[in-house]
Amino acid sequence: MALLEVSDLSVQYGRVTALEKVSLTVRDGEIVTVLGANGAGKSTLLKAILGAVPARGGGVTFDGADITARPTHERIARGLSLAPEGRRILISLSIEENLLLGAHMRRDAAAVHREMDAIYARFPNLAERRHMLASCLSGGEQQMLAIGRAMMAKPRLLLLDEPSLGLSPLFVQKLFELIRELNAGGLAILLVEQNTGKALGVAHHATVLELGRVVMAGEPAALAADPRLREAYLGDGG
Amino acid sequence: MLTQQIINGLMLGAIYMLVAVAFTLAIGVLNFLNFSLPGLFMVGGMATYGFIRIGWPWFFAIGGALFLAALVSLLVERLAYRRGEGAEADVPLVSSLGFLVLLENLMLVQYGSDQQAFPALLPDMNLRVGGLVIGIAQIISLAISVILVAWLSWFLKRTNAGRRIRTVAENRETAQLLGVNIRRLVPQLFVASALLAAVGGVLFAVNYQQVSPWMGEGPGFKGVAAMIIGGMGSIWGSVIGGLLIGFAEVLSITFIGADVVNITVYGLLLLILIVRPQGLLGKPPAREKL
Repeated sequence: MALLEVSDLSVQYGRVTALEKVSLTVRDGEIVTVLGANGAGKSTLLKAILGAVPARGGGVTFDGADITARPTHERIARGLSLAPEGRRILISLSIEENLLLGAHMRRDAAAVHREMDAIYARFPNLAERRHMLASCLSGGEQQMLAIGRAMMAKPRLLLLDEPSLGLSPLFVQKLFELIRELNAGGLAILLVEQNTGKALGVAHHATVLELGRVVMAGEPAALAADPRLREAYLGDGG
Repeated sequence: MLTQQIINGLMLGAIYMLVAVAFTLAIGVLNFLNFSLPGLFMVGGMATYGFIRIGWPWFFAIGGALFLAALVSLLVERLAYRRGEGAEADVPLVSSLGFLVLLENLMLVQYGSDQQAFPALLPDMNLRVGGLVIGIAQIISLAISVILVAWLSWFLKRTNAGRRIRTVAENRETAQLLGVNIRRLVPQLFVASALLAAVGGVLFAVNYQQVSPWMGEGPGFKGVAAMIIGGMGSIWGSVIGGLLIGFAEVLSITFIGADVVNITVYGLLLLILIVRPQGLLGKPPAREKL
């Protein structure tokens, strides 16, 4: 069944239209990827789904409830969580405090600590330095921390905004393994990426944005074979 | 003699420390130099005095004064801070200064401009330890100040709400993406910093047994100096800065004379600004707050 239903969503920044009637569905247990060049509106789409930018038109339904007018904190409490573009790690907080921040609205302290231990088990690099400031981490480690922090909210749908950006090939490899593993555990993922090949490799469904509109959508295999994809992905000056 | 003065300095410093921490909360998290805080310090002392004068028991009077300070601070948030959002940084600063002037003059209308005698709330008992005289009020005030600041520091470090506040301090947009409800958090911070300032005002009144509409200005501006000396945005920096200024003030009164107090205090500030512009515990340019 549809976990997230975005219908005819439009977003406007001043007089600039960032999204124009974008529709998209994520079902339970599915990885959906959104592709497109810089400025296509991919990050805006995630922010609008999270309620961090207001929708001018259209709607967002999550788990059967219309959340279009709900504030961000309520959407996160319902099971949406974002690992944002540029990672946005808090450098004045320790690694552990960054993780706990992901769970800041949860009251089940025991479960929160169990999940934090699971994240440490997965990323021993973070565990070793848990009490150090997060600024000591490399880019790849920061991305793992950002995803770990998003997981601490116990999401039902994880939103990932360009997680592979700026990572070494080794970390990109690790990242996509992680995405597969999280999904194998039943988590639905909405993945915004510029690494088209890798993203199509893990996704069950793909949507291509161009200048705020959906220009293609379908099975990853079909899209990968489509000559227009390269064109749309590269976009203007991409 | 010197030890006695150190104790007096500690007492005065504890009050400056509360004011400095109140400023630190506002500037460290909201990047807002809230000049209504000296006014709220004064409201703490004057309103307690006013409520006692109309016959309230002293604990209700203090509670009422703190409540009033919190309410006024919410008004400052609504009218000076929230409306000034998106404007130049000095717009909310200047309107908060307007609140200081307004509060002082409202008190002036109500109680006149003279110093008023504040009743002794605590028995005039002194502890005598090896020739030192320590007033009960001094000890209680010091304990309250230290406990409040230590608790605040623990709260910011160890609780979800504290981490939310530190996240807003570092990056508002990130905080929003992580689901921090900034619309609710900002008024809470205003109340917290108002209460710190107002508690400072109550302790000042209890210890020195006098209040006036202008009583907030001295401690208020010394609190700002203490915050800068300690390092903007650092709570423990404000603690050290407050105590230092308290000592400097008391020692210069004792050894040089009351006329030079401001020269000593603001000279200390000037010295720190020249030698260590980021303050004692402040971190150099790339600001990490709280």
